Amino acid sequence: MPELIVAENLHKSYGKVVAVKGLNLKVDEGSIMGLIGPNGAGKTTTIKIILGLLRPDEGKVAVFGENPWDNPKIREKIGVIYEKAYFPSHHKVLDYLKRTCRIFGVPESRAREVLELVDLDAYEREIKGLSAGMLQKFAIAHALVHNPKLIIADEPASNLDPEARSSLLELILRLHKEEDVTFLISSHILPELSRVCDSVAIIDKGRVLASGRLVELFEKYSAKAIRITTDKPEAFAEELRKLSYVKRLSIDSKGVSLIAAEGTESNIYEDAPKIAKKISAVIMGIELGTASLEQLYYKVVREKG
Amino acid sequence: MRKSKGRPFLEILAASIHEDFRFPILEVFAFLYAISTFAFLGLGGGFTSTLTPQNEEAATYQLVNIQMGTPLFIFLILIFKNVVYGFGSEFEKGTIQTLLSYPLKRRMILTAKLLSALGISLTMFLGIQFFALYIMAPQTISANLSTVLISYLASLSYPLFLTAILLLVAMKVRKGGLALVSGIVLYFALSIASGILTALSLTTGNSLSLRVLSILNPSLALQFHYNPLSSLIGETIWNPSFNEVLMYIASGYCLVIAAFSIAYYYFSRRLNI
Repeated sequence: MPELIVAENLHKSYGKVVAVKGLNLKVDEGSIMGLIGPNGAGKTTTIKIILGLLRPDEGKVAVFGENPWDNPKIREKIGVIYEKAYFPSHHKVLDYLKRTCRIFGVPESRAREVLELVDLDAYEREIKGLSAGMLQKFAIAHALVHNPKLIIADEPASNLDPEARSSLLELILRLHKEEDVTFLISSHILPELSRVCDSVAIIDKGRVLASGRLVELFEKYSAKAIRITTDKPEAFAEELRKLSYVKRLSIDSKGVSLIAAEGTESNIYEDAPKIAKKISAVIMGIELGTASLEQLYYKVVREKG
Repeated sequence: MRKSKGRPFLEILAASIHEDFRFPILEVFAFLYAISTFAFLGLGGGFTSTLTPQNEEAATYQLVNIQMGTPLFIFLILIFKNVVYGFGSEFEKGTIQTLLSYPLKRRMILTAKLLSALGISLTMFLGIQFFALYIMAPQTISANLSTVLISYLASLSYPLFLTAILLLVAMKVRKGGLALVSGIVLYFALSIASGILTALSLTTGNSLSLRVLSILNPSLALQFHYNPLSSLIGETIWNPSFNEVLMYIASGYCLVIAAFSIAYYYFSRRLNI
């Protein structure tokens, strides 16, 4: 599958602060790639370099085979959603989108189409009068105006309420399926990202720790999660933390999920009943399954970070 | 979906004009230009009687020079508002990122922004000035059009140079308010330095600093061309020929071109957003 984005050995520093350090990234055409990592990992810097807003200190990047800094024509095929939407504030919503249509040479009727697509009906309101959520919807509509083949989104779901987030994810899946749009999405919200992404790049301290198709990464990192359903999750978790092979743990009202060190997963079948007896808890079930994206992320960071 | 050829340059220009001159900014500034220009019209008779030009060219120069004073200052205010504050705010608010997501080269984006911020102001300034001149003294102006043009060229060189420098300042500080304050400080610092150097020349009779200043501000050379006497020492301290004045104007515009070229290069090739 051809690669729409190829970044090789990117380095970028802001004074003494190293933002990106030897970063390599490839985004295949037709994929939905998630760029995941903590704050300050270098996600936004990477996206800015890909968009031609920043020049890397070293390394090179090609988008649609071209250097994005020198070839603005490629932007006809790229839609951009920034974490914080930046638009001239004194334009009306519909007017500005119509202007965007004219910029890209698409019929002005497309402006209403994309506003309907994102469920934003404040056509006549000035951009400065939009709420944060509405502004984010407007930014998404703005990115879709010219039917881009690639959408680059930096935290696109920030500022959206749960319903709008869900709609955004559905929209992403629909655009991907029906119009074969490729996505590069940076996000902190891993459970939601895992609903749409077919591949991820895990980034930390300015470099990609792991990247590839999700199924392959789960397989490669043997990211297996153990789920213990119990009536006393808090107390159970406290005891589990004492076990040296338990690497990561999360609690909810019905039980505990954990990641164990590789090859030690079976130990839990021996230890869990002992803990249950000790704290007088009832175990309703122990399951071994595929980890969540969040669990995969922590496993990769722990092993390679 | 049917796609035609987009027109990013024109649309970015139109959007910039919409932001820079939304109602009633354009109207207010047009009014100020007109009032400050035509205020002279009411006093025209009085002025012409007090002026004692040695020839018609000098009279034309004096007419243009007097008429241009306040409007040129209003022009500078508009430059500060649109180029310095406006462009600095583009960085501060992040709207420059949106502009850079459109399929247009960086230098064309800057050109569209400058056409809006500078081009409209300049057109408005010159339009009202020429209109007023023709109303006031149609025959003198028609007969001495080259003097009128040279006077405007000489007077606009320094504000344009300042614009390019302030554009660089705005790109560097990336904050509208800070860029505005820096611009004002720079403007007054240059004015004070220029004033001190001019006073030094006028009192000592040494024209060197006037010559140096004239490279930056050729209107000074034009002023001494038509009026070489120093009012302080009562003798001629510098009397540049017309060709010398043209040389100073040319060198002034070389500086303008160089400063804008640096600003374009910096924005197009170096500026990380």
